Amino acid sequence: MSSHREAPEISQDPVADNTDCYAFVSPDKPDTVTIITNYVPLEDPPGGPNFFEFGDDVRYSIYVDNDGDGKPEIEYQFRFKTKLRNPDTFLYNTGQITALNSQTWNRRQFYEVTKVNHKRGKSKVLGSDLASPPCNIGPRSTPNYPKLANAAVHRLDSGERVFAGQRNEGFFVDLGSIFDLGDLRPLQNLHLIATSPAMGVDATATLNVHTIAIQIPIKKLIRDRSVPSDPMSAKAVLGIWGAASRRKTRVLDKANDEHAESGPWVQVSRLGNPLFNEVVVPMGSKDKWNAVHPAGDKAFAKYVEQPELAKLLPVLYPGVFPRLAKLKAKRADLVAILLTGIPKGIIPGFQNYTGSVLADMMRLNVAIPPTKSKPSPLGLLGGDAAGFPNGRRVFDDVVNIELQAIAGLTYPLVNPDYKPDDACSAITQGLTPGKNRYQSTFPYLGTPHNGFDTPAGPKG
Amino acid sequence: MENLSRRKLLASAGVATGAAAIAAAPSVAQAALDHPEATDPSGPPPEETIVAYVRDIKRNEVTVMSGTGEVTYRDPVLVKRLVKAAPASGQARK
Repeated sequence: MSSHREAPEISQDPVADNTDCYAFVSPDKPDTVTIITNYVPLEDPPGGPNFFEFGDDVRYSIYVDNDGDGKPEIEYQFRFKTKLRNPDTFLYNTGQITALNSQTWNRRQFYEVTKVNHKRGKSKVLGSDLASPPCNIGPRSTPNYPKLANAAVHRLDSGERVFAGQRNEGFFVDLGSIFDLGDLRPLQNLHLIATSPAMGVDATATLNVHTIAIQIPIKKLIRDRSVPSDPMSAKAVLGIWGAASRRKTRVLDKANDEHAESGPWVQVSRLGNPLFNEVVVPMGSKDKWNAVHPAGDKAFAKYVEQPELAKLLPVLYPGVFPRLAKLKAKRADLVAILLTGIPKGIIPGFQNYTGSVLADMMRLNVAIPPTKSKPSPLGLLGGDAAGFPNGRRVFDDVVNIELQAIAGLTYPLVNPDYKPDDACSAITQGLTPGKNRYQSTFPYLGTPHNGFDTPAGPKG
Repeated sequence: MENLSRRKLLASAGVATGAAAIAAAPSVAQAALDHPEATDPSGPPPEETIVAYVRDIKRNEVTVMSGTGEVTYRDPVLVKRLVKAAPASGQARK
């Protein structure tokens, strides 16, 4: 998936598993950027009595590089603290939760937001004791969930808005088809092991996720604190990624039912571009990739230049990708999309180039305004410069975009003589996410599915 | 120099009393160190523990963590003591 359970070690540590990173100019507040990092993959809504939550022992970070060196100048840190009202019940809630301070809500989480200015070596706590909403239990326990979630959107004195809690999983993918030897629905009849074509299956349609979202005035992120209006300006492009860290040691003392932590913070998960660690980095290097910063991504560039998936497609679909099969050159198109940004002169009126440092970051050109009328989920491939890979909106179909790019559709950007296989543009998941998956205002991911009604029971 | 730095670190972490007592009565302390006594923990671990581990026995390296800090020292005496005090693999020492 985008980055759900994408590496061996982090697949065993869900609360620290960064599953998706989104960054876009806020459509309803275009003088701000919204950054979303998601954690806790594949939340099954009825999963109680210990419903999903953030890790108190995890440090969650959102990083911003505003000078193109692959290192953060700005970091927002989120630390959580769980509070238990009544240790003598097994219940998450002992009655209806109608407000964030409901006495019947037993297990609550609060968090602190700290901004770190790495250039100056200074940090400042922006907000403390900020409440997360509960999980969406069901119509009896959480009868008005949107009200609870809205109350958990906090405006900080420093100008940012934050939210941290459960949301609807925005990432959509036909997971079963991809991992069953790339048997992409509805192209199964063309597969090496052919079957009849069928519609795509949205594997995450009924799942939730835990979201950390922050909306930041653009001028707070730009190196000279301006609001760029020229898309061709270098300072208009930000590099953005998320990460989670744990302390180096944890001492379990079962005799005293206690634990303690010590040592420096060690990064255990990160995410910039969707699917980078998932389908580009090989299994033996995934854990290492999660532990390093983007500035060190030169070591992984070879996997972008010669992606394994581009070699597999002609094998799995005999005769369907003949030109891709013959393409042996390094994929400079993918290096630009994923590691440097797209320079000026490639796509008229567009660039999101951050320089020659190879770094997997979400690159967002903040001078490109949000597309309000019929934005294309195919982003730049669909002629919509406000979408992926110029940042990433919650509804962007990143699986289709990256599959098509890896299949060769974007190679003419660097070699106009190359003609992509006809099948490139035919690759599709055939999925259209439901309307309830997203909302038009911060935090933009929709109300999470409630555990009583999801999954739906048998009909009739 | 390495020992001095280690003492400074331990002192800043609040264990200077023990180090000072050892310095004041070297013969008693040396005897105790030569014959470490296994005991039960006196209470729960503090919220922020000092954690030390032998990183490389051949190089006499020990890593000490306190708070979010971490320093690796080469200290043959300390490594020797820790190795001597360590229980055999899989055994609880009593």
